[in-house]
Amino acid sequence: MNPFALSSLFTTADKFIFLLSLVLIGFSYVYLWQSSPANYAIIKSPQQEALFVDLSHAGTHQVQGDLGISRLEVKNGQIRFTESACRNKLCIQSGWHQHGGSIVACLPNRVSVQLSSQDATANFDAIIF
Amino acid sequence: MDKNDQLIAGFAALAITIHLLESAFPSPVPGIKPGLANLVTLYVLIRYGWSLAVNVTLIRVIAGSLLLGSFLSPTFAMSLAGALASLGALWLAWSCPGKPFGPIGLSIIAAMAHITAQVVTAYLLFIPHASLFTLLPIFLTAALISGTLGGILVHKILERTHNLVST
Repeated sequence: MNPFALSSLFTTADKFIFLLSLVLIGFSYVYLWQSSPANYAIIKSPQQEALFVDLSHAGTHQVQGDLGISRLEVKNGQIRFTESACRNKLCIQSGWHQHGGSIVACLPNRVSVQLSSQDATANFDAIIF
Repeated sequence: MDKNDQLIAGFAALAITIHLLESAFPSPVPGIKPGLANLVTLYVLIRYGWSLAVNVTLIRVIAGSLLLGSFLSPTFAMSLAGALASLGALWLAWSCPGKPFGPIGLSIIAAMAHITAQVVTAYLLFIPHASLFTLLPIFLTAALISGTLGGILVHKILERTHNLVST
């Protein structure tokens, strides 16, 4: 039986560990939750093959969707929808996107754009057992 | 059967029971649970030393998974990884000269090591996608909270039972 444990509930070393943990957790939020800017985008539509777009080259791209054509513009490492055959134009209103990992889509037209960084390590997102 | 074996068997049975009961409760966030069976590990560590705590923990992990039907499954791999990591961290903390850490500090250290090892195991074996680590801050926060509360619990239990000896 160790009498040390019974002397006090919260020893000095415990307080140190608690504060250290708070600092560590704070850093982990900052470091792990920042998203890096994306290098390229994958534009997918059931009507055509996936389009790999390099975000460092400015330009416009045209994608055929279920309802019609969606047009996307690339500039300054960002991408946005400029025209789409949908009714509400929510995709256009969502504006410019540049963060790695974000996905923007025109759902009525079934066009999706996934932004990624070049150092993505996996070919698949998840494995389900 | 010597005295130590009796203690190990008894505490392992207690830990397994707690583990089984806890598995009946749903958790609000997948991957986060109170981990009450680890408190038995902590109690045994403080009162009887590290090697008994290792025995109790490993028996609990293996027998618990056999009883729940998850032996050698991914759940088992992560459970074992977490248990081994927390035992390793507890060994480091317990070996510090003068034993500066009380139950709360030990509990926090063990909980952090446990959850980190589980996320790393999940990354290496099941979901090799870097964005898995975006869950780590949430899990670490939960580990800090449950570690602190668990440490307080163990301290209270030790206060009341430290002079009880098994027959």
